[in-house]
Amino acid sequence: MIRVRFFGQIREIAKTKETEVADCPTVGSLLVLLSENYGRDFRPEELIVMVNGRHIAHTGFLETPLKSEDLVSVFPVIGGG
Amino acid sequence: MSGKSLMRVNLTTGAVSTEPLKEAWLKDFIGGRGYATKLLFEELSPGVDPLSPENKLVLAVGPLSGSNVPTGGRSMAATKSPLTGFIACSNTGGQWGAEFARTGNAFLVVEGRAEKPVYLWIKDDRVEIRDAGAVWGQDTAVTTDRLPKEVGDDRAKVACIGPAGERGSKIACIVNDKTRAMGRSGVGAVMGAKNLKAVVVRGSKTWTAVDPEGLKEALRIGMQKIKENGVTSQGLPAYGTAVLVNIVNAAGSFPYRNFQSGFMPEADRQSGETLAATLLTGKRACYACPIACGRGTKVGDKEGEGPEYESTWSLGANCGVVELETITLANYLCNELGLDTISAGGTVSAAMELYEKGFLPASDLEGGPKPRFGSGEALLYWVEKMGKAEGRLGRLLAEGSARLCEAYGHPEFSITVKKQELPAYDPRGIQGIGLTYATSNRGACHVRGYMISAEVLGVPQKLDPWVTEGKPEWTKAFNDLTAAIDSSGMCLFTSFALSADDYAAFLKAGAGLIGSTEELMRCGERIWNLERLFNLREGLDPKKDDTLPKRLLEEPLPDGAAKGMVSRVPEMMPEYYRARGWDERGVPTEAKLRELGLEVREGP
Repeated sequence: MIRVRFFGQIREIAKTKETEVADCPTVGSLLVLLSENYGRDFRPEELIVMVNGRHIAHTGFLETPLKSEDLVSVFPVIGGG
Repeated sequence: MSGKSLMRVNLTTGAVSTEPLKEAWLKDFIGGRGYATKLLFEELSPGVDPLSPENKLVLAVGPLSGSNVPTGGRSMAATKSPLTGFIACSNTGGQWGAEFARTGNAFLVVEGRAEKPVYLWIKDDRVEIRDAGAVWGQDTAVTTDRLPKEVGDDRAKVACIGPAGERGSKIACIVNDKTRAMGRSGVGAVMGAKNLKAVVVRGSKTWTAVDPEGLKEALRIGMQKIKENGVTSQGLPAYGTAVLVNIVNAAGSFPYRNFQSGFMPEADRQSGETLAATLLTGKRACYACPIACGRGTKVGDKEGEGPEYESTWSLGANCGVVELETITLANYLCNELGLDTISAGGTVSAAMELYEKGFLPASDLEGGPKPRFGSGEALLYWVEKMGKAEGRLGRLLAEGSARLCEAYGHPEFSITVKKQELPAYDPRGIQGIGLTYATSNRGACHVRGYMISAEVLGVPQKLDPWVTEGKPEWTKAFNDLTAAIDSSGMCLFTSFALSADDYAAFLKAGAGLIGSTEELMRCGERIWNLERLFNLREGLDPKKDDTLPKRLLEEPLPDGAAKGMVSRVPEMMPEYYRARGWDERGVPTEAKLRELGLEVREGP
């Protein structure tokens, strides 16, 4: 299973902190699945997605491969200091 | 800004004077941080003891402070730091800065030392040196409540020190409006050494733009960007700065237990999300701020503000303390005692490591709780002792972790640069921020070039935090832009939405300064170089001082997403010096100084 954790406003949209998903070969396919589950407020283009703590911009974007036991963290666009 | 004044108060003699601002300095250094640094560079004797009457404390605002430009209410304290021995400039929000700007002054230069405790009451162009006997020894909350009554003006704003500043703690801050702080580098100790408890201000002058139509257009563009940006319009208002806890922890760069690890299993229990669901009573905004990242909070019957991300981490994760209530109470305590939260947490965590490893003898605790990682009881107890500089250990804690660890013979447990404690991002998992820490002119600091924005948050570009290529050039650009923003009187947080063009436009239309984006960046670079010259004059040794603690260079992260990594700052440093136009020793070249219009003097 792939573990998916939600943060910030995404928690409110998903109405959960965490879920598990089976059989998603890539981040792209995972996001399609999550969009179907959580509706139009879940907008992949406005997210920061990390796989095992690495931003997908550095691991292949939507083509980033996923395997069982991977931890996917989904954040809204955030900042602070 | 050109219509504003510089007020000078000598507390030894009681002499008070007002001077016009120097147009040439405004053009070259903008105001605020830049102008104050120029003043200190010109007026301080090299080698001055930071806690002597000969050091000067400059309270400053920028040309946009007190305006209707978004977040235009910042103020800052600049001086020679007793913590680092180098230049200090600590920036704050709240309401004090805008009120000070309304007095018609842009700078207050405090010189000398009063014979007994005093405070200043500045109403427009008048200033009185008043007896502070009734509030000396009181905490910042009591002082802030009492002084407006004493001057007979409920709307007066107060910036003051707490017991920590009075007792010369090298990590003491200046607290304004009860919950905002000019926090870093021990500026509160300089105020305390002058026997100056508070500066109370009230002004009646209104800010006017040089080019009102131009400003209107710049505001329309800037406000639209702030409204459309996810960080400034949603993330920060909803969860405050502590929204960063989870993402930095996910990246394996949330320093845990004095930087022994970069991952805290229970981090979500002290996140901005958890704060919003539990202790939050409401959002708080500083003067003219459309973002409102401040947090009104309540624990039991105690109310206050915060903790911010940095304070959550330093008093929480870095001390191994999990419970948000305890962290929040420790944060309130730091505000009341007038302690810099980052350095306070970084010093308690160092004491915890010293104790757990057997280098801090139990007899030095003098009956206090054992400083073990995770002990909320120890955190609250030792923060109080630190803030009051009480007892053997309390007095040592008040000196900051570098001097504490030195005293116990183990300087390696002090996680500092230039003796200032590191902020809340582990530079082993985020390479560029390490370069900011190592080169920051005021000692370890994240807001001297907030590389986290690009390396973790993806603004304005998504840089890979694990690589070093290109980071020196990015760090330099962030350093320079930040120096310009700080000098303007605006808040750095606007830079999530705004670009250099916007600041240049605000300064041009608002204050008649800065003709172009290039000029803005050049001013920032000039300020950065002048700070460097100040530090070199004070004996900065780049080889020893432009680096990170050994732990971060040699001990790989043991777990988390960045497991196995160390900081590669030494690899990046030569390229950083090159990008800056400095020689291989880290000294600005003559050519660079000439290019910036900085006077070339004899080298260090």
